[in-house]
Amino acid sequence: MSFLRLFSYRFSDIKQNCLRTCFLLLFVFMHSISLATLQVPSKEYQIKAVFIYNFTQFVEWPSNAFEEGDSPLVIGILGDDPFGSYLDETVKNEKMGQHQLVIQRFQKVDEIKTCHILFVNIADRRQLDRVFEKIKDQNILTVGDASDFEREGGMIRFFTENNKIRIRINLEATKNAELSVSSKLLRLAEIVSPQNN
Amino acid sequence: MTMPLGDSPIQRKLMTVILMTSGAVLLLTCSAFFAYEFFTFRQTIIRQLSTVGEIVASNSTAALAFESREDADEILRGLKAESHIVAAGLYDKNGKLFSWYPDNLVQTSFPEKIEEDGYRFEDFFLTGFQSVKQDDRRLGTLYLKADMGAMYERFKLYGAIAVLVIIVSSLLAYFLSKQLQRRISKPVLALAEIAKAVSIQHNYAVRAAKIADDELGDLTDAFNHMLRHIEEQTHEITSFNQHLERKVTERTREMEQANRELEAFSYSVSHDLRAPLRSIHGYMNIFAEEYATQFDEEGRRLINIILKNGQRMGQLIDDLLEFSKLGRRELVKSTVSMEDIVKNIWEEQRKMEGDRVIELILSELPMATADSSTIRQVWTNLISNALKYTKQKEKTHIEIGSLNKDDEVTYYVKDNGAGFDMQYYDKLFGVFQRLHSVKEFDGTGVGLAIVQRIIAKHGGTIWAEAKQGEGATFYFTLPKEPVSQVWMKGE
Repeated sequence: MSFLRLFSYRFSDIKQNCLRTCFLLLFVFMHSISLATLQVPSKEYQIKAVFIYNFTQFVEWPSNAFEEGDSPLVIGILGDDPFGSYLDETVKNEKMGQHQLVIQRFQKVDEIKTCHILFVNIADRRQLDRVFEKIKDQNILTVGDASDFEREGGMIRFFTENNKIRIRINLEATKNAELSVSSKLLRLAEIVSPQNN
Repeated sequence: MTMPLGDSPIQRKLMTVILMTSGAVLLLTCSAFFAYEFFTFRQTIIRQLSTVGEIVASNSTAALAFESREDADEILRGLKAESHIVAAGLYDKNGKLFSWYPDNLVQTSFPEKIEEDGYRFEDFFLTGFQSVKQDDRRLGTLYLKADMGAMYERFKLYGAIAVLVIIVSSLLAYFLSKQLQRRISKPVLALAEIAKAVSIQHNYAVRAAKIADDELGDLTDAFNHMLRHIEEQTHEITSFNQHLERKVTERTREMEQANRELEAFSYSVSHDLRAPLRSIHGYMNIFAEEYATQFDEEGRRLINIILKNGQRMGQLIDDLLEFSKLGRRELVKSTVSMEDIVKNIWEEQRKMEGDRVIELILSELPMATADSSTIRQVWTNLISNALKYTKQKEKTHIEIGSLNKDDEVTYYVKDNGAGFDMQYYDKLFGVFQRLHSVKEFDGTGVGLAIVQRIIAKHGGTIWAEAKQGEGATFYFTLPKEPVSQVWMKGE
């Protein structure tokens, strides 16, 4: 049953990815780029960063989500950034169709501007409710890893099972936001609805 | 250059032509069909595999993107339905093998290096790479390997069927051509048969049967027409011949009649002439004896001349009678010893020559199959001639011998006498023809004519060689009788 399939990840691969990142960063260093960006995230967040980037390939936004045909696709990070510069590196020069991928960081709920994917790094329930309240009626794919994130109104939640990072999708929430998730992605994910808690 | 079928019968030629043509066509058709099937099937199998590849690649984008090995495994397991796909592998975007099918296959059996997209045949397998892309973003590569054994099995079957078809068709073509070629060869063979019969039996009454109204029918018509023509001409010639033959027979009979009449005439003339001549001669003898004293010398001389001429005329008539009798006589052949005859004659004749110096060289004479009395006449004539014409020689030299050949024997009598001038040779064997005067050598001129007639009746020939004043040689041949080739050596 496809929706029960685990989203697997092998740690040997994580090691390799890490090693590759090190080399990449070394390369960056040698080209005298600011050391300030050199923050190495945990392996877990490296994977999550790649997954977030991959969501742009398997989720479709309605055309009115973009002001113009070639407006950038904005990935927002609310709260503390666990990815360091890794997410920036991942999406650098990448596009979804005509849309350039761009990262924006918001410290507070009020700072949230127009975006298409919002990684919510907030665990507090009340604050979460505020977030969902604020972005209601906008076509924003909300991603988080707090427990019950998807039950509180979030759309995609990362969780770990048997040392593998898997995803859970609140399909109703994505529908409400007029986002269509590719069946290929749905096959990998667990699908939940707010009722069956 | 000669055709390979040059001398074989027309039936085999026709069949060979038909079989070779149909065989070539069949072979070409089968090969073309086979080649078409082969390439079409390869194309189809590539298309099928690439379609499967595209579907699998499209389905496995998320599995690669989110690195879900279970999902990738399950997608690849779906290939179970395609039994000819023996291996499939998903590589991630770094070229590392991520998931593979079937599970029990070791990782090393997959290629390490990823090649360009496309499919190629390797031995008994079709392998290929297919990039896995999501919105132009390459997520990884799919590797597929299909077993072509089934395909080649199928082509083996195809080949076997093709061979079977060729064999069965060839057999069919053989029997069909054997039947159908008769329509062409039958009239030709019939014509050939009739032509052979005509040339061997000379039967121009036969006709070839016309089988169809085609060119062979025309040929048959022309052949029959020709036969009719020949038959008519033959008939004409035959009747003409018969007419001629009748005429010849008629003429021959007439001539024989005339000849017989002539012979009878000459015989009766000679016979009838002999009686009065005898009277003349007899009475003249009496006259000369009774009244010789009453004549003077001149009278007696004249009487003697009359007597001599009467005697000579009697001799002439006797010879003439002999000659004409010879024409009517049948030869009675037996084995004759020529040596005995010659020795016998020689003794008789030698006595009459007195004390002349005569040297005889008698060589070996083979036995002959001949009529002994007439052949004796021949020898008598030739030997007496030889003695007669050598009379004036001081020393007479006569040689009698023979030359033995395969089918005939040549006998000869050679002398060193007066000989004769070869310019008068054609008169030599004529009746009453003489090359010397009676005063020189007596004789009637019938002898050699008789000899020639006897030899001719024996189936032989006679001829002579001579030189005036130096002698003559007379040759005659007698054919050897095949049954009685008995040779006796003379002593």
